[in-house]
Amino acid sequence: MSGVKELLYKDLEEAVVEMDEERAVETAKRVVEEGFDAYDAIEKGLAVGMERAGQLFDEEEYFIPELLMCSDAMYAGMDILRPHIRQENVAVKQKVVIGVVQGDTHDIGKNLVKIMLETSGFDVTDLGRDIPPARFVETAKKIDAGIIALSTLMTTTMDGMGEVVRNLIEQGIRDKFKVIVGGGPISQGFADRIGADGYAHNAADAVKLAKRLVA
Amino acid sequence: MANTHKNEEMTSLERISTALQYKKPDRVPVAPLFCGASHRVLGITYDTWSLDAALATKSLLAAHEIIGFDAFVTLVDLSVEAYDFGQAVIFPKNSTGYPDYNNLFIRNGDDYLKVKYVDPLQSRRMKSVIDICGGLAKARGHDTGVIGFIYGPLGVLSQMRGHEDLFKDLIRHPDRVLEAVETINGTLVEYATAQIRAGAHSVCIDPLYSSASILKKETWERFEGPFCRRIADSIRNAGGLVTMHNCGNGVYFDAILKWINPVAISHAYPAYGCKTWEEHAAVWGNKVVSMGHSDPAATGIEMTPEEIIEDCRAQIETFSGCNGGYILSTGCEFPPNGNLLSAIAMIKAGKIHGVYS
Repeated sequence: MSGVKELLYKDLEEAVVEMDEERAVETAKRVVEEGFDAYDAIEKGLAVGMERAGQLFDEEEYFIPELLMCSDAMYAGMDILRPHIRQENVAVKQKVVIGVVQGDTHDIGKNLVKIMLETSGFDVTDLGRDIPPARFVETAKKIDAGIIALSTLMTTTMDGMGEVVRNLIEQGIRDKFKVIVGGGPISQGFADRIGADGYAHNAADAVKLAKRLVA
Repeated sequence: MANTHKNEEMTSLERISTALQYKKPDRVPVAPLFCGASHRVLGITYDTWSLDAALATKSLLAAHEIIGFDAFVTLVDLSVEAYDFGQAVIFPKNSTGYPDYNNLFIRNGDDYLKVKYVDPLQSRRMKSVIDICGGLAKARGHDTGVIGFIYGPLGVLSQMRGHEDLFKDLIRHPDRVLEAVETINGTLVEYATAQIRAGAHSVCIDPLYSSASILKKETWERFEGPFCRRIADSIRNAGGLVTMHNCGNGVYFDAILKWINPVAISHAYPAYGCKTWEEHAAVWGNKVVSMGHSDPAATGIEMTPEEIIEDCRAQIETFSGCNGGYILSTGCEFPPNGNLLSAIAMIKAGKIHGVYS
C-alpha cells in the first residue's frame, strides 16, 4: 500500500472512531480523487473504524449515542465511495432482509444489528419499522436473501414474527430462508415456539448467529 | 371484595408499606405492574382506555377485583407527557399509544427551543393520569397502594425527537437538549406533585436511560440525574414516597440512589455490575427495595400458571435475606395482551411461597 493510501485509509478509520462525519466525507472524496480503490477504502478504512467502535462499545467506553454517531460517519463516507466501487471488486455477499414487525416503531435495536451486520460483510436490505409480514417474505424472495431478521420491542407485536414463518411455510419456501428474531420481549423459547432458526440477545450475538447460519 | 384475603393479616397497603420499611409483612407483596392489560377486563379498546380517565380507572379497579394485586401503577403509556407538549400520538385500537415518528415535534437542533412549559392540570393526558390517581385513591387508597407514574424528562424528549436522534443530539447539541430538559422538568415537577395531591401514595419515576444498555453513567448524570432529583424532592415534599422504574439492562443503582434516592426500584435485570440476581440481592437487596423481576413476556404469554408460580418462588427465595424489603413484580409492564390468569398466578405465588415465618 502506498503511503498516501495508507494514510487516507487510516484517516477514514479515525473519522469513524472519532464520530467525525465531515472528515469521513472529505477523506472519502480524496480517496476518489487520488484514484484509490473505493472498495478497499471501505474495507480497510471505514469498516475497520466501525469494528473499533464496536470494540469500544463492548468495553463500555462507547455507548449507544457514540455508536450511532460512528455509524453516521461510516455511512457518510460510504455514500461517497459506493458509486466508485469497481464491479469486479463486488464480492457476492450474503443478503439479509431486516425490519421491525408490524405495529412496532422501536428501531434502535434493529438499526444496531443492521450496522453490525453490514460491518461484518453482509448485504442488508433495511425495510424499516412497522412492516407487514408479507413484505418481509416478498422482499426476501425478490432479492434472494439468505436471512430474514425480525425485531420487536413489544409483546403486542411479537406474533408478527410467527406470521412471517407461517407465511414462508404456506408458500412452501420455508427452507429457502433462515429466520432470526430479537428484541426486548423475545427469548429462545419464543423463537423455538414460532419455528425461527435463531434468537440473538444483542447485536453482536445477532452477527455471530447470522454467520453461523449461512456458514 | 375486601382486600384482606382469607388467612391474611394485612391489607395490601399495609403489606407494601411494611416491605418498604424493611420490615416483614404477612407475606411478600405482589404488584405485577398490571396497567394497560386492564382494558380487556372492562372490554374496552386500548385507545379508549388510554384517553378516558373514568374508564381507565374503572378497568383498573375491575382488574384489581379479579387479580388482587397489592398496588396499582398508573402507567398509561410513555407518550402521555409528550402528547401534552405537542407531540402527535397514534392510538392503536389494541396496543399502546406511541408517537407519530413521521410527524415529530422536534425535527432538528433548533426545534428544542419550541418546547414550552405546560400546566399539567390544564393538559389533556397528564390531567387524565392525575384523575386516574384520584379515582383509584378514592376507591381503594385506604387499603391498596396507588403508585402514580411519570416518564423522566429525557424520556419525554425522546418521544418528541425520536430516540436515535435524541441520543445523537446529546453529542451534537447538548446545550439545546439541556434547555429543553429544564423546561420539561418544570412541568414534570408539577405533574408529580399533582399525582400525590390527587391521592397517590407514591409516584414512580422512569428514567429509562439510566442504564448501561443505553448511556454512559456520566452522560445520564449530566442530562437527567439532577432533574430527576428535583422531581423526587417535589414528590417527597408533597408527602409521597418516591419509587423508580427502569426495565433497561444494567441500571446504575448507585447513580439512582445518589440522584433520586427512591424507596424501591422496579427493575427487570440485576443492577449494573451484578452478574446474577443472587449477587444483586446480596449487594443491593438491603439498600433499596427491589420490585421485580418476572420476565413480562414469558410470564404473561409463554408460561403456564404452574411455571409462573415456580418462577416466582425462586425469585422470592433469592430476596429472602432482605428482611422483608422485597416486592414481587414483573420487570416491566405486564403485557397488555398477556393472560390474566398469569397475573393471578403471580399473586398465588406470593400467597403460597411468600409467607414470612
